[in-house]
Amino acid sequence: TKLILLDSLLQEICSRAAAEPESCHPVMSSGSVPGICQNGVQFGPEELPPMPWFGMDIGGTLSKLVYFEPVNTTEEEEDRVKNIRKYLTNNLAYGDSGHRDQQKQMEDVVIRNRKGRIHFIRFPTNVMTPFMELAKEKGMAETLSTVCATGGGAYKFENDIRKELNMTLHKFDELDSLIGGIQFIEKNNSKELYFWENPGEDSLACKKTYDFTNPYPFMLVNIGSGVSILSVKGPGKYQRVSGTSLGGGTFLGLSCLLTKCKTFEEALELAAKGDNKKVDKLVKDIYGGDYNRFGLAGDIVASSFGQMNIEEKFMGAAKEDLARATLMMITNNIGSIARLCCKSEGMERCVFVGNFLRINTIAMRSLSTAMEYWSNGAMKALFCEHEGYFGAVGCLLELMKTS
Amino acid sequence: MSSGSVPGICQNGVQFGPEELPPMPWFGMDIGGTLSKLVYFEPLNTTEEEEDRVKNIRKYLTNNLAYGDSGHRDQQKQMEDVVIRNRKGRIHFIRFPTNVMTPFMELAKEKGMAETLSTVCATGGGAYKFENDIRKELNMTLHKFDELDSLIGGIQFIEQNNSKELYFWENPGEDSLACKKTYDFTNPYPFMLVNIGSGVSILSVKGPGKYQRVSGTSLGGGTFLGLSCLLTKCKTFEEALELAAKGDNKKVDKLVKDIYGGDYNRFGLAGDIVASSFGQMNIEEKFMGAAKEDLARATLMMITNNIGSIARLCCKSEGMERCVFVGNFLRINTIAMRSLSTAMEYWSNGAMKALFCEHEGYFGAVGCLLELMYVANQTTRTKNDFK
Repeated sequence: TKLILLDSLLQEICSRAAAEPESCHPVMSSGSVPGICQNGVQFGPEELPPMPWFGMDIGGTLSKLVYFEPVNTTEEEEDRVKNIRKYLTNNLAYGDSGHRDQQKQMEDVVIRNRKGRIHFIRFPTNVMTPFMELAKEKGMAETLSTVCATGGGAYKFENDIRKELNMTLHKFDELDSLIGGIQFIEKNNSKELYFWENPGEDSLACKKTYDFTNPYPFMLVNIGSGVSILSVKGPGKYQRVSGTSLGGGTFLGLSCLLTKCKTFEEALELAAKGDNKKVDKLVKDIYGGDYNRFGLAGDIVASSFGQMNIEEKFMGAAKEDLARATLMMITNNIGSIARLCCKSEGMERCVFVGNFLRINTIAMRSLSTAMEYWSNGAMKALFCEHEGYFGAVGCLLELMKTS
Repeated sequence: MSSGSVPGICQNGVQFGPEELPPMPWFGMDIGGTLSKLVYFEPLNTTEEEEDRVKNIRKYLTNNLAYGDSGHRDQQKQMEDVVIRNRKGRIHFIRFPTNVMTPFMELAKEKGMAETLSTVCATGGGAYKFENDIRKELNMTLHKFDELDSLIGGIQFIEQNNSKELYFWENPGEDSLACKKTYDFTNPYPFMLVNIGSGVSILSVKGPGKYQRVSGTSLGGGTFLGLSCLLTKCKTFEEALELAAKGDNKKVDKLVKDIYGGDYNRFGLAGDIVASSFGQMNIEEKFMGAAKEDLARATLMMITNNIGSIARLCCKSEGMERCVFVGNFLRINTIAMRSLSTAMEYWSNGAMKALFCEHEGYFGAVGCLLELMYVANQTTRTKNDFK
């Protein structure tokens, strides 16, 4: 059942293999030259790859898939895409663990003169192996297709995919894809970037659009299983300046251990109800108040989990408090490292992306508050509506240039 | 009556300055978030009057290595032939958990300490937190000094008195070859100082007493201990380290190779590097397969590597090549010291060096002991000259 998404995709591809190969019909869009539809045949900037078009980012925890649904299709394309389109766009969930983020759907997107929508789908990377077994079983080896993929999984599963499915993955670097994806989405969605106004106040905190017309330079913090920090100075011009292993995977893993929860959603739900002050040692727990000499207010965490070696505090901490402390520890640490990098590179804007921030208002508001506080208002934390999908989008775009 | 100095007057509240010495016993105290550190100066020669005052405390402190359930004297750290303000003696290093402070005060009061007046110099957060209680319960005035000022002063002093104080790890990555080597710190400035206590402070030190707190992190020794207690049900730092020594973090963490199937060459990330700490723990079978030892090890590596990472960012940003790590997180913690050494070297391509100190977490208390020499009118001093 987990594999219904992919099952359907396979059916569609298998039926295509049975159909007439190599018939090239002119595409009904102005000006472009039709691509040739066999695998292995090159197509470059003038030619378009065969439908369906998608990009895939196989990350450490989640795999992200973006699917471009064309508004107009040729007859030949229609044959090929109708099943997959129907399956993907009629559903919001696929099997047990696949989800389509409908609110992220983008309308009226133009890629290489083709107009369409982009759909955003995610599923756990750990269903990848069962998927490949099923794909092989369904005879996908006979059907050849160009698949562009990024993320560690594009490398990790490449040989298996070639061996089991006789399919060549076109691999792209995850950070190149990320950068390309952000550039594209931002140009197509003027409301893509936003910040939190009054982040520290529950009743007043709200999202406000940020005009990213002049984006460069900016710091980019990608929070997935782990974290990469990139300094971006121009279109496609970036450097990976740092990273940390304390990322979304750590928040999830530690939460599972400490609270016996099973999913990211559960962990966040617990954290929303918890109080980290019961778990952490604050400056005031050590000083009895503020540590004025170095501007450290009494409410700041001096030592995460610092009270947990004391028996009575240990007994008094509920799952919710532990989840909250884990969330704050990871979030504050990322903010701290991001700030050090921003300061060192002279950046004022720090864009945080990645699926750790999905439905994670607490983390976004904390990052916003901390950024402002520690930089005395000099630095700003920015966020993106499409969170963790940029790598997959960048891949989709690379598909257009595959040769 | 030692040569040249004018005896101080021994009543509380009376001033004594650079020419006068405070009355014995001399000690300095650093009341930290988790541990309290006490240094006691045991004079070689005493006047008759001093002898009366110090003999009991000296006997109690120096005849024992343990005090009650949780106090310990680190005998191997004892310093001989130390001279402070022309008085020669030894320095003893004692530690106990800060959470026995309140029972201690109750006992002290019970024992009539209120009648014995003494000048007590203290640093650390507890010097502020317990100040009022100490005044109320024991009628004693604490002379408070900033913990970072004390730290810096303490390091300067100890280093001048112990040529083997600073060391580094040679071959830190290899179990059979790793060993401590003395580091000549004759020309110390500038250096980065990373103080790992319950939490972490990072200071850039450019000259004698000339420093700035450049950063800090709340993921410190207290986090290692707290998380270890939660994940393994251990009770002490020593237990947590014992478990960690036998564990394998690769069963708990998600490595680059777990995500990439190998190295992530584009950005120079070897397959064995941790990409996501605890990153496998959302997977049921991995969760079930992780033992306490593995969880303790993963916690230790997470905290250690994070501190190293932040330290490196600061060193790079300040142009520092030497990074000195101190604090009781590193006590008996060879794994952390070697990891910090390896990481520092690796990530900086050999440009940066990790250094460590024999007296680990005692510098604040030593700095305080030295400040005692200059206490005047119950105000704090900020200048750091001791000779």
